[in-house]
Amino acid sequence: MKMFSVSHKTAFVVDHCPYMAESSRQQVECDVLTKSRGQGMIPLAPVSKSLWTCAVECSMEYCRILYDVYPLKKLINYIVSDSEFHILNSWRQEDQSTHELMSALAAVGPPNPQEDPECCSVLHGLVAAVESLCKITEYQHEARTTLMDTADRVANRGRIICLTNAKSDTHVRMLEDCVQETILEQNKMAAGSDRLMSIQQCELVLVHIFPQGEDTLVSDRPKKEVSSLLTSEVHSVRAGRHLATKLNILVQQHFDLASTTITNIPMKEEQHANTSANYDVELLHHRDAHLEFFKSGDLHMAGSTSRDSGLKETVTLKWCTPRTNSVELHYCTGAYRISPTDVNSRPSSCLTNFLLNGRSVLLEQPRKSGSKVISHMLSSHGGEIFLHVLNSTRSTLEDPPSISEGCGGRVTDYRITDFGEFMRENRLTPVPESPDTEASGKPPAERAKAQLERYTRYWPMIISQTTIFNMQAVVPLANLIVKESLSEEDLLTCQKTVYNLVDMERKNDPLPISTVGSRGKGPKRDEQYRIMWNELETLVKTHVAGSERHQRVLDCIIACRSKPPEEEERKKRGRKREDKEDKAEKSINKDSEDKNWQESERLKGALERGKEEQGESEVIKDSPDSPEPLNKKPRLEEIQLPEKAKGPVSLLTMWTNRITVANSRKHQEFAGRISSVNNKAELYQHLKDENGMDVHENGKATR
Amino acid sequence: MPTVVLMDASLSMTRPVSLEQCSEELQRKNLAVAGLTMLFEHMANNYRLEFTSLVAFSSLWELLVPFTRDYNTLQEALNNLEDYDKTCLESALHGVSNVVQQEWGHACPTQVVLVTDGSLGIGKGSLRHSLQTLKGRPEDKKFPLPFPFPAKLFIMCIANAEELQMTDTMHNLEQLLQLNGGDGQIFTMEGQLCLKSVQSMFGRLIDEVYSPFPAVLRCGNLASDVQVFPRPEPVFLDEEIDPMPRHILTDLEIVGFIEIGDISSPPVMSRHLVLPIAVNKEVDDVGPGTTEEPEEETSANQQAGKIPNFCVLLHGSLKVEGMVALVQLGPEWYGMLYSQADSKKKSNLMMSLFEPGPEPLPWLGKVSQLGPISDAAENPYGEDDSKSPFPLQPKIKRSYAQNVTVWIKASGLQTDVQKILRNARKLPEKTQTFYKELNRLRKAALAFGFWELLKGVAELLERECTLLPDTAHPDAAFQLSHAAKQLKLASTGDSQYAAFDQNINPMHTDFSGGGAGM
Repeated sequence: MKMFSVSHKTAFVVDHCPYMAESSRQQVECDVLTKSRGQGMIPLAPVSKSLWTCAVECSMEYCRILYDVYPLKKLINYIVSDSEFHILNSWRQEDQSTHELMSALAAVGPPNPQEDPECCSVLHGLVAAVESLCKITEYQHEARTTLMDTADRVANRGRIICLTNAKSDTHVRMLEDCVQETILEQNKMAAGSDRLMSIQQCELVLVHIFPQGEDTLVSDRPKKEVSSLLTSEVHSVRAGRHLATKLNILVQQHFDLASTTITNIPMKEEQHANTSANYDVELLHHRDAHLEFFKSGDLHMAGSTSRDSGLKETVTLKWCTPRTNSVELHYCTGAYRISPTDVNSRPSSCLTNFLLNGRSVLLEQPRKSGSKVISHMLSSHGGEIFLHVLNSTRSTLEDPPSISEGCGGRVTDYRITDFGEFMRENRLTPVPESPDTEASGKPPAERAKAQLERYTRYWPMIISQTTIFNMQAVVPLANLIVKESLSEEDLLTCQKTVYNLVDMERKNDPLPISTVGSRGKGPKRDEQYRIMWNELETLVKTHVAGSERHQRVLDCIIACRSKPPEEEERKKRGRKREDKEDKAEKSINKDSEDKNWQESERLKGALERGKEEQGESEVIKDSPDSPEPLNKKPRLEEIQLPEKAKGPVSLLTMWTNRITVANSRKHQEFAGRISSVNNKAELYQHLKDENGMDVHENGKATR
Repeated sequence: MPTVVLMDASLSMTRPVSLEQCSEELQRKNLAVAGLTMLFEHMANNYRLEFTSLVAFSSLWELLVPFTRDYNTLQEALNNLEDYDKTCLESALHGVSNVVQQEWGHACPTQVVLVTDGSLGIGKGSLRHSLQTLKGRPEDKKFPLPFPFPAKLFIMCIANAEELQMTDTMHNLEQLLQLNGGDGQIFTMEGQLCLKSVQSMFGRLIDEVYSPFPAVLRCGNLASDVQVFPRPEPVFLDEEIDPMPRHILTDLEIVGFIEIGDISSPPVMSRHLVLPIAVNKEVDDVGPGTTEEPEEETSANQQAGKIPNFCVLLHGSLKVEGMVALVQLGPEWYGMLYSQADSKKKSNLMMSLFEPGPEPLPWLGKVSQLGPISDAAENPYGEDDSKSPFPLQPKIKRSYAQNVTVWIKASGLQTDVQKILRNARKLPEKTQTFYKELNRLRKAALAFGFWELLKGVAELLERECTLLPDTAHPDAAFQLSHAAKQLKLASTGDSQYAAFDQNINPMHTDFSGGGAGM
């Protein structure tokens, strides 16, 4: 349905002339006497509704269904006509509710039978309805303002439903002519006005209501064109039940509705609480919910039945147990609001209350073949019930390659849990529209995106790429630093986190450095801290532009992170490499930066496997087949053992070394060893001292 | 989106193509086969999730290959295609309609690729005849177009436009397209009929319909190159005001995350797989592949498999947490990303597109008004995740949620009156309920102008008053006569007593304590 179709605006014109006060002659017994109390009592005489009451309650039922199915954008203007017209509401969306209309109707009251019938007419109301159709609605206004120069593309169509008691077919024709003339007149006026729109199409639906037991003076007539602007149809209906059925059919026709009957609803009996009987409930909704049935042509096969002598069709769907749970994401191709036809009957209210309590029901399409096809689901969302259409045919996306077979599918240490936490922190919430949020500039959704940007400035995807996110101690800082602004308290927490890390370093606490990707035992302790501090700096640096307090967190890190003396020494040794790295550290927020340092750290880590404490081997896995590290420089200050230079330290070597060291303490060291250079001592030095040349010659002579 | 290739196997397809520069004699059929071979090869390499079936037709039609992703089978069937008699398109289209409906139902958008030489038969059964007799057919003999499912019709003519325009063929084909709601296109060969021109024609089809849809999925600074399959189709909104087609952006930006229970099986327009792709992978040339190619590809795939990819991380966390990611597809157009599990424990990252518009799901409200939880003064999900800001409640409750009064059926009215009488007999314990029901009835009666009912119920209450047993609480009688009096006053229509928003309040009595809770 187009946005500005005839159904956008509906003007109800209800006749309020004295003859509408006449009784419909449909009597209602409202005094139902129970057997035990009925003895000897005269029951109250049955009451009967007036034509007015019938017209009002049926039109309200029309509105109720409409507002249930279309809470927005389908507008009703309710007009009552007697010696003058009374407009009970406006096109404004906030005026669109049955409560609003009932209140206004109560103020009007029933027609006054004493009023002079000569000066009363439904014509006043019809003229007012045409005038009202020319008035622009907020939706039309909005569409026109957004379209600017093509504003004339916004259509103005409408429908007038007139509930009256006409005198004859001639009288009906007179009413039609009057509407036609008024449209022409109003269109002329609208052409010269900004606030009015001329009517392009108008549907007049005249419903002639007459009391039970009388013959109608007006004949039914299907829709015909009065002019290019106006079509008209006449329905002649008995007051009471017939009128209700008629308006129910009309609301379906006017708003593309269809009917579904839910069958086999198990419901506890009022009298016998432990038994349950099956009930049926009829619902109205947009007819697209039946699209699949229409197309396949098995509308009738799907249990459709005709009632009220073929005037109305309904599709039967079966209540299905077990129920579905809310955490399941169904493939749903449409969801349509519903309205029960018999809203306050017990089966209806049982079903709607069940759904409103948050439960969902799957519905099954009855098929002759006996195969079970679940085609729909009833579910409520925030006090509104929707009929969901579920896809029941084969999917073209079946059997896709699993995500584990594609790019990145073989990586096993994704930070799934951390990203889950990230998602929880980045959940969305509705922000009420207020001038405040507009003042702050960005709409909430843009702010949500900005938050995602901040949170992901430094976000390693796999566990082995990060140290700080594997450390509980960093969490307070990591959670705060991503914030748009930091409070003084936040800053303090960040600083505390940093001090805590310094403390950890002082105590030489082990760090959860991953060895995946790096070979060997991984870096030694002070190196681990270097890696950790660098990573922390990287994280914080991406946020320093945020505020002065962010900068202060960085300052704190830079001030606190120690550069141990050994590191200074090593720096001297590997001058070139370090220089490069320092430059990289100085350059701010470069994407390549973290990769750069991570790689260089890893390389260095592999180099510096030298002295290891036993505690570390708990954290860091050793690899038995690690190759010999590159460019290893001999260390002069240590006792150099030949085995050590050759590669990984085996348990045997470690043991031998230990024993050797221990033993060496037990005896006096050989003089040769003490004076050795590079573990080599020259023998027979005294000969050289005394007669160097001889030795040389001797040597030659022996060869 | 499944594809049906509808191949003309009539005798006219065997007409030779006159070629000066080529010594070998070619039939139009050979050209058609060459074109389709190219299409199948392309699909096998770049669009391999597409289901394709092959239907051949002449005066009869036959489903040669049912829907499959096995392009070798399709190629084989195509190579073994035999020649038959005359062309009868109408029955073939019926065939296509049946084949598609049986497999995919009526909601699945389908692509029909009709390959024909443009001689569409003579006399009864010809397209010309079918089109001339469109009107006045009985219900069971309707022309198969438009199809009962959304379908695009691509007509590949093994003929050039001039040839088709000489007869009324072009006109007939255009009419066919119109019958399909204008969805589709007619392709003709440019210049001489030869292998080159047929390949260029199928090349155009491939570019328009079967080229993968590359995009970048972003979540802040995390990103992944992805392919969206099937290609998202442009969407038309309210055609009256904004008839422009809307395409989804190639930059898919995540807005934030929502729990599955909160998004709650939303209606979607279409579903698409989001497959991460390696960017630096060389674009492979379309053409006959050597035997080494697949091996290279596998090793390249293995390489790519070891590089961490954001899609895999996102998918894993969405699956574990039971959440979806809300993703922006364009201006005022959104969709959701979630983990979709196949029956065989395989799962995948899937994207569903919502209807374009600022508020696709009423229970979420306007998407542009969804902000980060840090914007809220207090975490709307609660400190322990015990609550949720969703679903949004509508401003006005629906009729079924607000205890409306409907008296269209007599039983509705009787139930309401009985409810009042039941409570009247239990006064003063039920004073509250009694007045609540009484006021509900009063309001409805006033709105409907049903003053007679007010009088009737007043009489009933007066009678109840006389029937009170001696043991009754004295308050009961007072309340009953008070209520009856008020109803009677209201039934006069006197504005002082008949105001809609006014309620009848319980009477103050000296017999307090008896539950006449005020």
